[in-house]
Amino acid sequence: MLASILQNVINALQWGSFYALIALGYTLVYGVLTLINFAHGDIFMVGAYIAFFVASFALTTLGLPGWAALALTIPATMVLTSLVGVTLERIAYRPLRRKGAHRLYVVITALMAGLILENGNLAILGASRKAFPPLIHETVYTIGGVSFTNLKIAVIISAFLVFAFLHWVVTRTRVGMAMRAISYDKFAVPLMGIPMDNIIVVTFVLGSAFAGLAGILFAMSYPVLEPYMGALIGWKAFIAAVVGGIGDIRGAFIGGFLLGAVEIMVVAFFPSTFRDLIGFTVLLVILTFKPTGLFGVAKTTKI
Amino acid sequence: MLLSVENLEVKYGNIQALHGISFDVREGEIVTLIGANGAGKTTSLYSIARLAPPEAPKVVGGDIRFMGESILDTAPSDVVKNLKLALVPEGRHIFGNLTVMENLELATYSRDKDADLDKDYQRIFDLFPRLAERRKQRSESLSGGEQQMLAVGRALMTGCRALMLDEPSMGLAPVLKYELFRTLKKLNKEGMTLLLVEQNAKLALDIAHRGYVLDTGTIAASGTSEELAGNPEVRKAYLGG
Repeated sequence: MLASILQNVINALQWGSFYALIALGYTLVYGVLTLINFAHGDIFMVGAYIAFFVASFALTTLGLPGWAALALTIPATMVLTSLVGVTLERIAYRPLRRKGAHRLYVVITALMAGLILENGNLAILGASRKAFPPLIHETVYTIGGVSFTNLKIAVIISAFLVFAFLHWVVTRTRVGMAMRAISYDKFAVPLMGIPMDNIIVVTFVLGSAFAGLAGILFAMSYPVLEPYMGALIGWKAFIAAVVGGIGDIRGAFIGGFLLGAVEIMVVAFFPSTFRDLIGFTVLLVILTFKPTGLFGVAKTTKI
Repeated sequence: MLLSVENLEVKYGNIQALHGISFDVREGEIVTLIGANGAGKTTSLYSIARLAPPEAPKVVGGDIRFMGESILDTAPSDVVKNLKLALVPEGRHIFGNLTVMENLELATYSRDKDADLDKDYQRIFDLFPRLAERRKQRSESLSGGEQQMLAVGRALMTGCRALMLDEPSMGLAPVLKYELFRTLKKLNKEGMTLLLVEQNAKLALDIAHRGYVLDTGTIAASGTSEELAGNPEVRKAYLGG
């Protein structure tokens, strides 16, 4: 019994890590732009594909061993994915912001951008799935009836390290301070001599880089890539961010793991086809009682 | 001339807010813009600060020059960073989710990393001892008066040489108003140039060297503070007889 609980906890942490990593990107962008970047799930997909190409290149063309290919794939994918995120901001969102467009139009633009990424991928690479090459040897450890792999542990540790890093950025650095300031009062930020666009770019770099990292880890864990792989996981990560309290990185992190835990628990006790139905119902109930999410606070301003 | 506004015409959408106004500010002066609600005072400051739409108006005619150079193409953050011209907006707009100290620190964002900031923090805390006591507090928990001090202190921490203030006395108890205006006078004595927008014309003319009276987007009168305070029409309209 205890072993089965521990097993489920490990599975939930691993599964929740993907949601948490993606949800962090949603919440960062929302905090700074009050924009729900619906293309973010597809940035994750693009990250997985970039990882696929970099890893294949490193393994076959360069002939590197698996570990070296991985060491190259991680930074290269994060950099390239963040470039995709920044480009998206530059060509899709910034022009609208310049014109002072209503938030609704920006959200619709984000949805369209996501569809363009999915269908662009489909048009360029075709509908056939890609098999992600194995980069590390997956070892299964079993301790007291609980089994886990080195990859699962790496996924969980990565999520925690990313959270610790982002938490440090947001609370301790000047850029992070500016990000928090923007989330409270956009108007006054340029008056502090802070170029808004730079902060926005940093936000997209961080969010997309970690979506790229999630893409690598996901592709290593479930090595089949297809153009729509980011759609559902992206929606779920977004919901995780909302349940946690969108705009707060602790919320995104906790929300991601919460969603992962709910899904794993449902599968443990019910047929797996009930997973999304029960999972979303639980989240709906949480939001009914706490509409601002677990860490969200209703904003008040003092005049 | 530090700042000169020349025949400035601006629009919010299709609505013209300024109809070709001109005024200037010399280094070391306190200049005040007075006038009723909707006269174009805030619009003038937003235009100078080069804020972007939707808050700020679009310049459709005239020019704004800082030390002789047009600043119409300057980004709002560069007005602060390069021209060293800061704005304390109406309603304070402090970052309530940050501590007092973080608010001040954030204002140093564009300054040289090796600048002598400690001296500047000390100067703010000397001017506003209350801020020193509350430096670790979340700033939304400050009283209205303390928030206004923070808004001024924060603007000073940008390292500005000229300060624009929009209705700094609004919502303050009388004793705090006088205290704030004494501080502004003191800052000016230390060399800070001030462009002050106020509805409380008496308070503004008390400390200003010169002033301009705005009326529905045009300049209705201008002169030294004494001249304006002695002008019968100004007295009747803005000084309560």
